[in-house]
Amino acid sequence: MIPVSWIFALSVLVFATGALGVLIRKNAIVMFLCIELMLNGANIFFVGVSKMRGAAEGHIFVLFMMAIAAAEAAIGMAIITAFYRRKGGVEVDRADLMKW
Amino acid sequence: MGIYELSFIAFGLIVFLSGVGVVALKNPVHSALALLANLTLTAVLYLSYLSAPFLGVVQIIVYVGAILVFILFVIMLMNVRKEDITETLLSPRLLFGLGAVVVFVAQILALNIFVSGSAQGAKYIHAKDIADLLFTKYVLPFELVSVLIFAAACGAIALAKKRM
Repeated sequence: MIPVSWIFALSVLVFATGALGVLIRKNAIVMFLCIELMLNGANIFFVGVSKMRGAAEGHIFVLFMMAIAAAEAAIGMAIITAFYRRKGGVEVDRADLMKW
Repeated sequence: MGIYELSFIAFGLIVFLSGVGVVALKNPVHSALALLANLTLTAVLYLSYLSAPFLGVVQIIVYVGAILVFILFVIMLMNVRKEDITETLLSPRLLFGLGAVVVFVAQILALNIFVSGSAQGAKYIHAKDIADLLFTKYVLPFELVSVLIFAAACGAIALAKKRM
């Protein structure tokens, strides 16, 4: 029997790794990959809760989250492509138009 | 602590290390491949430990088959050069990020001690159980998600057009 707190600890560690990547990396695509990592950690949490309660609601939320991740990937890649075309690179330091 | 619990610890460590690889590798293609390892291992976690076979298969098809291939296409389209993250060691950005994340993890793990209960036995949740709920109680959010995906596809085409 796996204690459910282990599953929660794993999901929190994966989520925190993704958050660290969003905070410290400069490459926009790698930041995007780290956002996917954060979503994956949240998914592990939902499935763990669903396993603990024996209910199917967590699975439904995970399915919705996968659909929204697909939509987010389409929009995010379009924005990154437009940014690359305009600035010649994907480093977020190049977005300094409104920097004081 | 039996062999089952030990295998979960080893498996969780591999999942965590592949996530660290996404953050720490310099080449964006290597980061994407580390994310591929992470997503595939999460699918195996769903199948083997969390008794969610449908979600494991959907994870492989949607995340690995659609989203990650799409991201890899964009990376290879852009000819992204390697990012030098070694010179940012001990920079304010890295120190702030590490501090915030460590405080967050410590708080959640401290709260996690009070969570009791163990994952129940082998009660598999199959596609039928999900469909019973998805098409009765959650049918309105399901339809709204289809509208959202349609709007996202139109927005992506409008954003990525040559002449903005």
